[in-house]
Amino acid sequence: MKTARIVNKKTICKPFLIALAIWIITPPITVWAHKVIVFAWTEGDTVYTESKFSGGKRVNSGIIKVYAPDGRKLIEGRTNAAGEYSFTIPQKTDLKIVLDAGMGHRGEWTLMRDEIEGTSDLDTKQALVEKIAENRRDETLLPVPATGCADIKAGIEKALDKKLKPLIRRLNRIEHQNDGPALTDILGGLGYILGLIGIAAYVHSRRRGK
Amino acid sequence: MHISEGILSAQVLISGGVLTAAGTAIGLKKLDYDRIAQVGMLSAAFFVASLIHVNIGPSSVHLILNGIVGLLLGWAAFPALLVALTLQSVFFQFGGITVLGVNTVIMALPSVVCYYLFGPLLHQKTAVAITGAFACGFTAVFLSSILLGVSLVFTEQNFWAVSSLVILAHIPVMMIEGIITAFCVAFLKKVQPELLPGFFK
Repeated sequence: MKTARIVNKKTICKPFLIALAIWIITPPITVWAHKVIVFAWTEGDTVYTESKFSGGKRVNSGIIKVYAPDGRKLIEGRTNAAGEYSFTIPQKTDLKIVLDAGMGHRGEWTLMRDEIEGTSDLDTKQALVEKIAENRRDETLLPVPATGCADIKAGIEKALDKKLKPLIRRLNRIEHQNDGPALTDILGGLGYILGLIGIAAYVHSRRRGK
Repeated sequence: MHISEGILSAQVLISGGVLTAAGTAIGLKKLDYDRIAQVGMLSAAFFVASLIHVNIGPSSVHLILNGIVGLLLGWAAFPALLVALTLQSVFFQFGGITVLGVNTVIMALPSVVCYYLFGPLLHQKTAVAITGAFACGFTAVFLSSILLGVSLVFTEQNFWAVSSLVILAHIPVMMIEGIITAFCVAFLKKVQPELLPGFFK
């Protein structure tokens, strides 16, 4: 049987150049893992992380490494059976959390500085205590309203923290629940493959026409 | 089975890219026009198969189907898997663009090897053919696991530890793929034997 080859120099070069152009134009997407997802949130002075594979399975004893912005390693630990790992905030900068789930699986999550600063209980408490002390020194005449005000503020913050914690946790969960491929992605990919078959057939028919 | 971005060293990435380019060139050169649609269909099957997760064993693994793809396509497995892996990395964030070469070699090279190892068995008696097909599906994943270990050797400390872990994790997948490949071949032998390799020889 004589086989019709669809490939010669010309037909190879053109699609290659087009593909190259597309590759250059497309913005760099941060693409990771087959995939493992790690995400993190803060509660008080603790950072909680959760790691899972794209099938929804939790990463058991994956290695979590926490890096400072300058690339120093701050903390290293392993996730438990539920894919969770938590640590106290080592310093108030951006933290890069890297998950190594073995066998070439790697995930990354960056915890922003304002996320960390916004939730630190310790600091606000410290500041409040200092403020109260200051107020006492300065306004010996009117100590009651000043301390009262600070107390109320601290109380509200504490209560809010407590009430919001489960909410934040749930938001985080919901946000990362649907990380698997959506139906549109799947159909899109299949469409591309069909399209490529079409292009190949078209190129071939043109060549045969000539 | 997909290696993530940011793990491998440049040398490994580049050699993976070169091997993939060579394999794809050979694949395209050997590809005959009448089989374009078949290549596309198998590429699509591979593309979707990785969404089927097998949650047995220590890690989360998914079907690969590189055995049946190789058996039916031979060298054309390279372009077929390259296309599917590219789309997977863009749409699903499996693997990544820079590791595309390495990932393609990991999955497509065993396909080609299996094509030469088990292709000739398919036109024997049914029992032999089906056993061969099972072995094909099984071996393809096994070889892929070894290649995965090899490509991680330069970054992870221990080749044997990594490889045995990968192989262990993929044993269920090997079994399932062997069965799937056997069924496919049994079906094709009955319904459309001209799709099997070497039919015209």
